[in-house]
Amino acid sequence: MTAVGSACMGTSTAVGEDWVRALSVPGPLQDEAMSLLHDLMLRAARRQVLRMTPMLGGVGLDVVDEIAHQSANDAMMAVLAKLGSFEGRSRFTTWAYKFAVLQAATDVRRRVWRERAVDVDRLELVPDRGATSEQYAEAVDLASAVRHAINTVLSQHQRRILLALVVEEVPVDVLADRLGATRNALYKTLHDARKRLRAHLRETGHLADLTSQAGTP
Amino acid sequence: MNRRYRPLAPGLVARLTLDTDPWLSCDDCFRLVDQYVEELLEAPAGAAPDAPAMLAHLRGCPACADETTTLLLLAAEDRGLDPGVAVARLRERS
Ligand SMILES: [Zn+2]
Repeated sequence: MTAVGSACMGTSTAVGEDWVRALSVPGPLQDEAMSLLHDLMLRAARRQVLRMTPMLGGVGLDVVDEIAHQSANDAMMAVLAKLGSFEGRSRFTTWAYKFAVLQAATDVRRRVWRERAVDVDRLELVPDRGATSEQYAEAVDLASAVRHAINTVLSQHQRRILLALVVEEVPVDVLADRLGATRNALYKTLHDARKRLRAHLRETGHLADLTSQAGTP
Repeated sequence: MNRRYRPLAPGLVARLTLDTDPWLSCDDCFRLVDQYVEELLEAPAGAAPDAPAMLAHLRGCPACADETTTLLLLAAEDRGLDPGVAVARLRERS
C-alpha cells in the first residue's frame, strides 16, 4: 500500500491533501498517484457511459470502452488543472470522480445528438388528447393558458430555449454547443422563463391548476 | 412548412412551469455536488441534507441530475453501501 492508497476500491488510506501533494510533487510517488488517478477516472467514466448505453442504441463494450478512455483522459487533465481548488469538503476520490462523470456524460450526449437537428420553430403545443372527459375541459384550459403564456410573455430567446430543453429534451450541453453558449447561461434562461410563466399563470388564476397537476406522472 | 405537434400532457405542463427557486447554477451544482452526495450517504435515515437550492436544481436540470446519480452510485460503492438505497434516497428528495 502506498501513501496515496488504492484506487481499485475508490478509497484512500490517506487524507485528500496527500493526493494533492502526491500528484503535485515530481517523483515516483507522483507517477503512482497519476496511475491511480487514471484508474479512478476510467472507473467513473465507464460507469457513466454504461448508464447511458440505451441512448447509444445498443453499442458494444468496445465502443463503451473507447468513449470511457477518451473521457477519462480528458477528465484527468481537468482534475490536474483544478487540483488547487480541492478544499477537502469531500473525499478526494468523490471530488475527482465528478470530473470524469461530467466529461463522459457530455461526450455521450454529444455523440447521441451529433446527427440530430434541433428545430423548435415548427413546434406547436396542443391540448393532450389522453385526458379523460372530465379532465378534458380543465386540461384544454390549462394547456391553452400555458401555450398562450409561452407565446406572449416570454422573449423569443426564452421561448426557443424552453421548447428545446423541456419539450424537445435537447441536453443542455448539446444546446449550448449548438448556440455557442454555456450550460450555465442556458439553464439561467430556462429558470427565468419558468419563473416568468409561473408569474403570468398566477395572475391569470391558473397556478392552482398547475399545483394540482404537478404530482401527475 | 410542416408543423410538429406536441400534446401538452400534465407532466409536460409541470416541467415547463417547474418552480426552480432557490436559484443554483449548473457550475455551482458541480462545485457542490461531491459534498452533497456524501452528506446524502452519511445522513441518518430520514434526515436530509438541508440543500433546497441543490434539490431545486436537480429537479429542473436533467443533465446535472443524471450526473449526480452516477456520482452517488460511485460514492456509495466506495463506502460499501447499497447503491439502490442511495439512489432511492436521492429520488425521494427530488
Ligand atoms: Zn444543471
